[in-house]
Amino acid sequence: MRERDTAVDAARRRASPRVRRERFKDFLCVAPALAFFAVFVYYPLVDLFRIGFTNWNLIRDEYKYVGFKNYKWLFKGSGLDTWLASLKVTFSYTFWEIVITLVGGILLAALFNREGKAFAAMRSIVFMPKYIAISTSAIVFMWILNDQYGFLNYVLGAFGVGPVAWLNSERTALTSVLILTGWRVVGYGMMIYLSAMKGISKDYYEAAELDGAGALKRFRHITLPLLSPTTLFLFVTTFIASMKVFQSIDVMTAGGPYESTNVMVYWIYDLAFVQFRVDRAAVVASVFFVILLAFTAATMKISNKSVHYDS
Amino acid sequence: MTNQALAANVRARRLRAAATVLQYALAIAIVLIVVFPLYWMIISSLKTSEELLQAVPSLWPAQFRWRNYADALAMAPFGRYFFNTVVMTVGIMGLQLVIGSFAAYGFAKGQFPGRDALFIVVLGALMIPIQVTFVPIYGMVAKLHWINTFAGLIVPHAVSAYMIFLLRQTFKSVDDSFLEAARLEGMGRVGVIFRILVPMCKPTMMTVGIISFIDGWNAYFWPKMVTTTSFRRTIAQGVYELKRSYAGLETMNQNQIMAGAVMAVVPIVVLFIVLQKYILSGFSKAASK
Repeated sequence: MRERDTAVDAARRRASPRVRRERFKDFLCVAPALAFFAVFVYYPLVDLFRIGFTNWNLIRDEYKYVGFKNYKWLFKGSGLDTWLASLKVTFSYTFWEIVITLVGGILLAALFNREGKAFAAMRSIVFMPKYIAISTSAIVFMWILNDQYGFLNYVLGAFGVGPVAWLNSERTALTSVLILTGWRVVGYGMMIYLSAMKGISKDYYEAAELDGAGALKRFRHITLPLLSPTTLFLFVTTFIASMKVFQSIDVMTAGGPYESTNVMVYWIYDLAFVQFRVDRAAVVASVFFVILLAFTAATMKISNKSVHYDS
Repeated sequence: MTNQALAANVRARRLRAAATVLQYALAIAIVLIVVFPLYWMIISSLKTSEELLQAVPSLWPAQFRWRNYADALAMAPFGRYFFNTVVMTVGIMGLQLVIGSFAAYGFAKGQFPGRDALFIVVLGALMIPIQVTFVPIYGMVAKLHWINTFAGLIVPHAVSAYMIFLLRQTFKSVDDSFLEAARLEGMGRVGVIFRILVPMCKPTMMTVGIISFIDGWNAYFWPKMVTTTSFRRTIAQGVYELKRSYAGLETMNQNQIMAGAVMAVVPIVVLFIVLQKYILSGFSKAASK
């Protein structure tokens, strides 16, 4: 250890002014990006935790530090019930978005896994909704889900079901939002799985076929395990994305009815910009950040042990 | 014996044909379900209000009311929304590509102490979404008087950690000998990055550029925070604003709202169709890393 240290020191001492200048120029290449992350990502995160200890609101300019008052409001005071309800609805939204992306994605991948132009075109169509602004598609879905004149209730009515109140009922509002989500994300899951399936060597399938394994068995014992890194990738990215859900909620339900779709980011927004309680919003956001970080870290840790890597 | 084998063969072939038919049928059914909302949007945008509210909805307009589009344009300043969106999106994409290319070069090919530790700092930014930090960022932007300005819309999105990550990966795959040859010919860093690395990695540059463009075009959360009037609103908010401008009379004006939605969706659908090959390859790249 000691020897190596002195060797490094020696190398550093030997570095000529020219080499040092080159190193500095290399560093200058990354400096703008680093400065940006310092100012617009890391500093705001620190500032967020600081604001949580103040009584700042958007109505008055001055504020003072109030210790853990806002945390008490959240964990022991009147904020607790809303917080728990919001956590519950955020996680249940996330759970269903993950299920749709993973299960729906892999089923569609199996279905659309066929050569030829017709299938390539159909795959593109199923994938496209992800690229349409959520706010715009949300407005289209609100029209389809309209309880009086919507097309969905008309179709259900033809089967003797309904009319369902969809966005106007606390029992079905989250489901309504998830219908839009499903439409948007299932093709994305499919595409990610399909591109991973292309990378699986045909040899596995041929060997299994020789052993007499049927199509379902081959899917179960070859495709699924070899796709586990892809499943992990989709799981983690979908988790992070869906915990942040805001756009569809803002347009379709505004957190209602009766806070039944009051997801975490919507609540933070509502606290800050509707109720002007920036201090409380900061505390909810801080705690939310810790939850996100803990869950992501835990997922990574578990998955490192259980994911099957093909190499 | 042979007869039996033949019969088994025929049966197997029939089974396979049936499976193919089933696969086509299911695939087409799913495509129809996915397309339906877009079809319904277009059809609704052309109906009259009376037809819109019929008890039995029509699958094809009895008469086409193109005026819905003019009416929607009269209700909301779509031209301004488009202008704002284009400036914001191009600004974000340009800054992300330029700053991102420099950073990716530094992290992939540069030699300076602490390089890999600093790259962790970049990756860490992926874990801190603006949906968590928007309150302090809003405070900062307000202090700079950037509310309702392009600076406020663009600057907080000017660098993408995800793009740096993808570009670094691609730049790393370029052999050092190309860079050394360019340096020997007296090319500086800027030349190496933009005349050697970027052209050599054109497919990836295209992909990340397009994804940045689409993300910018569809951005909703931050533009909503930083704009308070229609003066700098973007198209992703525009349709919602159009809907709200009918306050209480939305149902009978759905045709005009859908016309606004069509206008908002068309550019991105065209872009998707023209450039989908780059979009698709981008996602397989992302997933394989």
